[in-house]
Amino acid sequence: MKRVPIAIFLALAVLAATCAAGGAEEIGKAEQRRLFRDGARLWPVYCAQCHNARPGSEFAPYQWDAIMMHMRTQANLPARDARAVLEYLKAGR
Amino acid sequence: MRYFILTILIITVIAAGGICGAEDGSELRQIRREIQQIRADEERQRQRDERLIGELEQKVEKLENQNRQLQQSSAQMQTRTTQQLQQINEQLGSSASDFARTFHDYLGTHTFTLTGAVGGDFIYDRQTATNTFALDFEPIILYRVTDWLLFEGTIEANLPAGGGADFSLPVATAQIFLNDYLEVQAGIFDQPFGDWYEDQSPFWVNRFVTAPLPYSVEALIPPTDIGVQLRGGAQWGALGQDIDYTAWVSNGPSFANDIPQPVVGQAINGVNTIKVNTNGQGYGGRLRVYPFPLDSNLGRLELGASTLNGKWLHGNWYNAWGVDFAYLRGPLQARGEFLEMYRQMPTGNADNRQGWYVQVGYFLNQLPLPFAPDPVADFIHRLEPLIRYSGVNQRAIVQDEVSTLPETGFSGSPSIFTPHAREVALGLDYWVAPSIVWQNEVDLELPEAGGSIIAFGGNPTPTVIPRGATPNDVAFLSQLAIGF
Ligand code: HEC
Repeated sequence: MKRVPIAIFLALAVLAATCAAGGAEEIGKAEQRRLFRDGARLWPVYCAQCHNARPGSEFAPYQWDAIMMHMRTQANLPARDARAVLEYLKAGR
Repeated sequence: MRYFILTILIITVIAAGGICGAEDGSELRQIRREIQQIRADEERQRQRDERLIGELEQKVEKLENQNRQLQQSSAQMQTRTTQQLQQINEQLGSSASDFARTFHDYLGTHTFTLTGAVGGDFIYDRQTATNTFALDFEPIILYRVTDWLLFEGTIEANLPAGGGADFSLPVATAQIFLNDYLEVQAGIFDQPFGDWYEDQSPFWVNRFVTAPLPYSVEALIPPTDIGVQLRGGAQWGALGQDIDYTAWVSNGPSFANDIPQPVVGQAINGVNTIKVNTNGQGYGGRLRVYPFPLDSNLGRLELGASTLNGKWLHGNWYNAWGVDFAYLRGPLQARGEFLEMYRQMPTGNADNRQGWYVQVGYFLNQLPLPFAPDPVADFIHRLEPLIRYSGVNQRAIVQDEVSTLPETGFSGSPSIFTPHAREVALGLDYWVAPSIVWQNEVDLELPEAGGSIIAFGGNPTPTVIPRGATPNDVAFLSQLAIGF
């Protein structure tokens, strides 16, 4: 039983090493527009679920990059929805 | 008309010829000449008409041509304008993104973002005659290394009674996004059990000043834990229909060891910072489902279930499970949880507890107020009245552990330290901004009789006395909460 956490940790380390290399991909203009549109619909609903929705104007785009990672963790948001809200918040400032 | 005149002339000629055959030829010739004259006139008229018609047709054709040319040139103009606009846009866009790139380069790829919250309270409690201010400051540092790695650290500076600030580290984690469906979070974190600790506890997020009873001073679940989490979410249906999971291995639950022996009802530790060998690992899981599509306009409903299990002392198990819901539709929001905890005791007794809360709030920002003057309407539109009912059932309270000292978000009411605590909280929030709120709360503590009071009083073995009726209490808390 004591080995279980160690095994989980090792498995995670291997996963991290293999997956994390991915990095960011450039997204196309059309996809960007689709993300913006979905983000504009999602933001007032998803981002008001735990607290009042915070408008894009409150933070600089680079801060939103960090905050949306924090919120994606907090709410376990589907990755694409997180990208859509981020696009909306940064572009809609 | 001309034919009519001609016909009458011909008839007249014939009639005249027939009747008066004797008339002379000059008259006849005269008539014939006139007839020829009329025919010639007619021919000329027709030719003139045809010429006119021809001219008109030419004119129409010319106009049509001109119109066609105009249309063509207008279309050309349009495409040229669009092309020019596009060019300008591209130039602007590329210079804007050039600027963004330069700015980003200046900032560096590693960024720091400072957020967090502060809460300043005024607290009144009738039973203890409390009447005090309190303050708590919780900055959060987000350190973003790449788009798949984030570090988060929360430092809590609390001002307890009678001294300088107390500092603690409630959260310090690495968040590693492995792919779209899997994230690893490792470190010290808010317990992901239920919705309270992780998602509702910050001052400006919680609509009330206080925590609901099962997450207050007689908590059923440790608020903080150290370990590793796996988390992720996915869309299973239409946009808005999501499911998400959190699974974790942690240091798990432990119980206060500043009393001579473990007893039923003793308080759970806030965090098991260092797991000693008498403790087993904690294993937790949480699942949340969102059944309504975004387009259905039914609002956002969240249904969740959680569990946390672990051996808290040698072979003795601690098991907890809970279900929760949250519903948001326009200005209405409601949430609630029910949770149970069961603990095996070395003595063979069972220590089981349960807790629940339901709360409803209604933001008045959409209330029509046609006759109110603007400042009054603006004031009312910033208000959110709330009500919450919460309770805890447990077999006993350990007298030696009770501390009625108030602190930020806690009134210190002795009526909360009862085996069957019940509370009705009435709230009125005034929203200055989405994350700045002045909160006012009246707590009616209405404990029920039953259970026991366990007291050591410095002795190695406790005395157990049944808890009879407990007086009710009233507390009032007013808090300025700022999320930044
Ligand atoms: C599951 C609940 C939940 C959801 C959904 C949620 N948040 Fe949050 N949010 C929180 C909590 C809790 C905090 C307070 C931070 C803390 O204590 O860790 C917070 C903090 C913030 C902050 C303050 C900065 C920070 O990172 O602490 C911003 C801005 C924010 N949220 C924006 C958003 C946006 C935008 C969305 C929509 C994608 C969103 N939130 C969705 C729970 C949530």
